[in-house]
Amino acid sequence: MKFGLFYELSTPRPFTIETQRMVFENAIEQTVLADQLGFDSVWCVEHHFLEEYSHSSCPDMFLSAIARCTKNIRLGFGIGTCVPEMHSPIRWAEKAAFLDMLSNGRVEFGTGRSSTWNELGGFNAKVDDTKKSWDEYTRVIPKMWTEERFAYEGTYFNMPERCILPKPVQEPHPPMWVAVTAPGTEFDAADRGMGALILSISDVERNIPRIQEYRKRVRKCRPVGSFVNDQVAIANWMYCNKDGELAKKKGQELINNFSYMAGQTVEISEAYPANNYKALGLLGSLRPDPNAPDEKKKPPSSGLCLGNPKDIIETIKRWESAGVDHLIFMVQAREHLDQEDVLTSLRLFGSEVLPYFRSGKTGLAMNS
Amino acid sequence: MRPTELLYGEREASKIRTRTVKSAKTQKDTLIIEAVEILYLLYETPMNQSRKMIPKSLHPSVPAIVGVTLIQASEGPLDAFCLAFVGVACRTGIKPRHFITSSFCNNDKAGQFFCNRYGFNCEKAEIILTENYDEISGTITTGGTEILRTSINNCIPLVGGSALIKYSPPLNAVQLDEPAMIQFEAAYDFKRVVRGECRTSCFSAESLTENMLAPSRGIAGSHAVVDLTFLPVRFRLDMQIPAEEGGARKI
Repeated sequence: MKFGLFYELSTPRPFTIETQRMVFENAIEQTVLADQLGFDSVWCVEHHFLEEYSHSSCPDMFLSAIARCTKNIRLGFGIGTCVPEMHSPIRWAEKAAFLDMLSNGRVEFGTGRSSTWNELGGFNAKVDDTKKSWDEYTRVIPKMWTEERFAYEGTYFNMPERCILPKPVQEPHPPMWVAVTAPGTEFDAADRGMGALILSISDVERNIPRIQEYRKRVRKCRPVGSFVNDQVAIANWMYCNKDGELAKKKGQELINNFSYMAGQTVEISEAYPANNYKALGLLGSLRPDPNAPDEKKKPPSSGLCLGNPKDIIETIKRWESAGVDHLIFMVQAREHLDQEDVLTSLRLFGSEVLPYFRSGKTGLAMNS
Repeated sequence: MRPTELLYGEREASKIRTRTVKSAKTQKDTLIIEAVEILYLLYETPMNQSRKMIPKSLHPSVPAIVGVTLIQASEGPLDAFCLAFVGVACRTGIKPRHFITSSFCNNDKAGQFFCNRYGFNCEKAEIILTENYDEISGTITTGGTEILRTSINNCIPLVGGSALIKYSPPLNAVQLDEPAMIQFEAAYDFKRVVRGECRTSCFSAESLTENMLAPSRGIAGSHAVVDLTFLPVRFRLDMQIPAEEGGARKI
């Protein structure tokens, strides 16, 4: 099992310079600590215009800052938006390769297509075309990395022959992922040989069928890149404290805070109903559906990594049994917790949970 | 949670027109009308206008949005009717809603029903919802003056799991024992849904939004045929105290 951190860079109002800088600096400090503790990855979202919820409009820049002050932690785009009005695929290929160079080969390249009217409407994007443009981007970007010169004429993107530079450090190229929120997108990931970056937070049991189906389909995939990235990563909440009940209480506060921010965004399905947005997108899947019956509004009852080290180890073992390769933790929401509180939680996880999954299960759970 | 400066509406409750609602508390029955047509259009609008329009207990949607809804039934217990209303998108807590700024009905019996049960302060109007091969249009005319002319064009069908519209429930300002808001409660069983581009050639801000707000950019519009179930109201909302601070009470 691998472990990562996931950043939205959510920012409380009022948006003062000091507050915004504090959010960025705290996240970097957490990531540097996570690298020292042995965490495997840090992922940063790309969002635009999402007041409070996410001020992370340039994940490549955040990850570049991380790259230069860490040694081993891998750097994940979580995700780069593959919508022509926002980015050319050339720019994504360049940015990812550039970061791979700066980090000496630590990039994980996640892809996606956005799910809010705030963003797609803000860029005047063609909402009906986002899935098709995403598909085209995932097929051309690996070729830009691996072919000396590249030319292309497609539906959403054309370019004459050019040498796209720099080329990435990783051979043949960085692993590719797809953000999986709506049920069924894991099939898109599997069919293309891409890792499934499951960003909808739910119970362990609810994810087992989709993981099994992913594994089955990825065996028959036609990879868009030069290799198959057969991995399943799942976003989760993590707060670790010796006092398990306190940890659950604080973790619930984080979730409530996050849900409140996510509730302020306008989902595509609320504003611009479309056949390619059948279900709630990322934000909708991370937050409780405000119009759902009460029993469906409840957050997942199992699978959250909130508790004392022993509780968390038991939870992670269940994810491991379900076939998950990588858990990616959200550890803060709108600076609700004090920075020292977050760092203490990370240190406790690093000293008492990580070892259990690293070297012959010699951590706290084996000793207790 | 730590106190933060969330976005709220700015309007004083005393400056919001309310209408006394007689039977919102007592009408517990449900009413089903089949094959109702709903034309629903959303537009962006400036945030400062949105915040000035809604009471202090509500949060504006981000981005700010105004919606137009026309509901037409050709038969049923309320006879044939067309109900039209305009609302500003907002939230109570995290729940998306539309704060209603004006409403109209072409049938007195239906108008009374929507007023007494849900607090729609319906003005009598001529309301026409028309489906043509290339557009679906809606108009509202009061006193011989057209105050709304809008349509959706270049429609595409929504199919499978996408064949539904997430209507944000309307909130009406009413006078109960004190000024409050109650919510239009309904369930929708979708039979057919299309989505199209908004076109609006007439939007009288004076008649529709007390001259406080106007659309700035079309988002999308939809036309649906649904079996519509009218449900009893469930709770009342305070005009000053947000729902998340105790401003929502069950009726």
